[in-house]
Amino acid sequence: MARMNEEGQWIVLMGLLVAVALFFLALIINQSALVGQTTAEGVLEFPKNDIRDLREAVFDYVDAAGALDPIERVDIEKDIITISLERKNAVVQFGNGTPQDVSGRWLRPVDIHYNNGVTVYNETVYY
Amino acid sequence: MLSLDFLAGFTIFMLALVMVLSMVPGLLAGLESSGIDYDAVAYRTGVILVEDPGWPAYPPWELYDRDNKEEIQRMGLAVSKETPNILLSTKVEKFFEESFFTSEDYRSKVIFGDIPYSYNISLRSETYNYMTGDPLPPGYGYIRRVVKIKEPGVAEIKSPGPEYVIPDPSAPEWNSTARNFTVRLNFSQLLDPGRGPAYRIDPRTEPVNITITNFGEYRNITGPSVNATLHNVTFWKMDPTRPNPRFTRIPFSYDTIDANLYTLHINGTADQHSLQPDVPVDSSISLVLKPAATSLFTLDQNSILDIRFNFEDDPPRTNITGTHPYDYTNVSHAGLKTAVLEVAIW
Amino acid sequence: MVNDAGQLYTMEGVAAGVIMLLAAYIVVSTTSIYTTGDTHIPDMQLEQLGSDVLAMMDAPNTNGTTSALETFVSTNNGTGFNSTFLSYCNATTRGTLDNLHMSANITYRDANANKINEYPFVAPDNTWTGRESAVRATRWVQLPKLSPKPVGMPGDMRTDPQAVLVEVLLWRA
Repeated sequence: MARMNEEGQWIVLMGLLVAVALFFLALIINQSALVGQTTAEGVLEFPKNDIRDLREAVFDYVDAAGALDPIERVDIEKDIITISLERKNAVVQFGNGTPQDVSGRWLRPVDIHYNNGVTVYNETVYY
Repeated sequence: MLSLDFLAGFTIFMLALVMVLSMVPGLLAGLESSGIDYDAVAYRTGVILVEDPGWPAYPPWELYDRDNKEEIQRMGLAVSKETPNILLSTKVEKFFEESFFTSEDYRSKVIFGDIPYSYNISLRSETYNYMTGDPLPPGYGYIRRVVKIKEPGVAEIKSPGPEYVIPDPSAPEWNSTARNFTVRLNFSQLLDPGRGPAYRIDPRTEPVNITITNFGEYRNITGPSVNATLHNVTFWKMDPTRPNPRFTRIPFSYDTIDANLYTLHINGTADQHSLQPDVPVDSSISLVLKPAATSLFTLDQNSILDIRFNFEDDPPRTNITGTHPYDYTNVSHAGLKTAVLEVAIW
Repeated sequence: MVNDAGQLYTMEGVAAGVIMLLAAYIVVSTTSIYTTGDTHIPDMQLEQLGSDVLAMMDAPNTNGTTSALETFVSTNNGTGFNSTFLSYCNATTRGTLDNLHMSANITYRDANANKINEYPFVAPDNTWTGRESAVRATRWVQLPKLSPKPVGMPGDMRTDPQAVLVEVLLWRA
């Protein structure tokens, strides 16, 4: 170990070159895919259309409830809850209370709960 | 000793390399992502256009004129937040007015983002065909939305119903030279929240369209040369929530013709008249009151707005009278129109 | 300690190896998300379009009337549903027609057995091979009392008011 032998350093240099090249290739492919993928997945994962549809279904149910007898009402409620669980893997619950006076109008508080394992949505809306 | 030097140097180098490499993706993300996030931006633009009514909400952004254009924050076309995919025709028409909005406006008020994206936004239905932006290159981000368009209704007063004709013109209470016909807009009735926003008549955001046809049948004296003269059209309002409510005449520039505020056509000709036309009417009167004018009237959800058509002749040449309510039974609605909206971004 | 030149070569070789391994590791760990990413954007666009079309078919054109979707389902008019659905989702602003195809099922609950059943509403056309990357769009429909029950509806379906789920499969041929 008298003095430094510099003949072997090209090996390290080669290794570095390969590493850097790999990195740049990966970066370019990866970054471009990542953005489009996360947006599309974010849109698909968040069940915005499902929740909107459920809300409208519940409002339709509340609209129609007055003209139905209690058995039919329970049946429709069961339809929505069991089909949601079976076909959409979503636990759904909803109910409506007695009308209340909300700034001069008589409105029913309607509870809507939705849970598909990823997204949980709870709402009390005066309808 | 020498290999110790080497090890120390190598370790420092490795540490630096790892740090730099972990920072590089962050630096490159912004540069590289613009190439592929076109679809995401197109999706976002589509959502803003189709599911949002825009901001400011009241007065709605489509009523802002050139001087106040900078106050528009966001251009959404939806009727309301609760009615996604249902667009308002007045918003659509304003949005595609290319002489009003520049491409910079579209970028900053509906597309958003740091990069000056190119865009092509188009809407088509049986009656609408709008497009704004540049021709499409290959490789653009894209979204297509199916929508319905809500159009304003028209109150058409066709042939004289008995309630709008003076039964006995010779009676003493009718000896004045003036004949008034009123169209009444009761806002508390029109804006009743029990009716969904997609089917509501809202004079604050949509034009009020009144057409009186077959006017000749209201004539007092027969003969083609004795048409009644439409002296003026005036606006009156009443706020029933105030004590002693009564109708007051709304100050307005009745004598200037401004197609942004109203259009008045008489006898089916293309001539524009002011609200003090003083012209003989032989067949029809068509008045379109634009929301830009209604917003000047300072009306709220309880107000009653009267549009008074005044005919003045001596002796009177028409027997028209009465009050025609502008409500859900009298205003014919064409229904929602299906359309398709496309957004392309590159 | 005769000659240490060989040891230094070894050390540099090991260093080069470590650098490359590290690079490869980081590269593999970051790009692994990429695998399925490219199919998501067309899926998202199709799913959004399908939901839009169902929502618009469910929006009555005038206040208080029955929506087109509810009418098609309650009269079991699959042909009408198919043509309306495709005319909505194949329309483009250039006036040319897109090439989307669909099939639809209706899911209902048999109240007596408390079982979920479905029946075909629109059968897939001949472009369906089973290998398409089809997306699913669904919509709730509340049916009024059916009297009489339209031809073609399954026997265990109730005639009382009920909520059914319309499921549409949508693919690009």
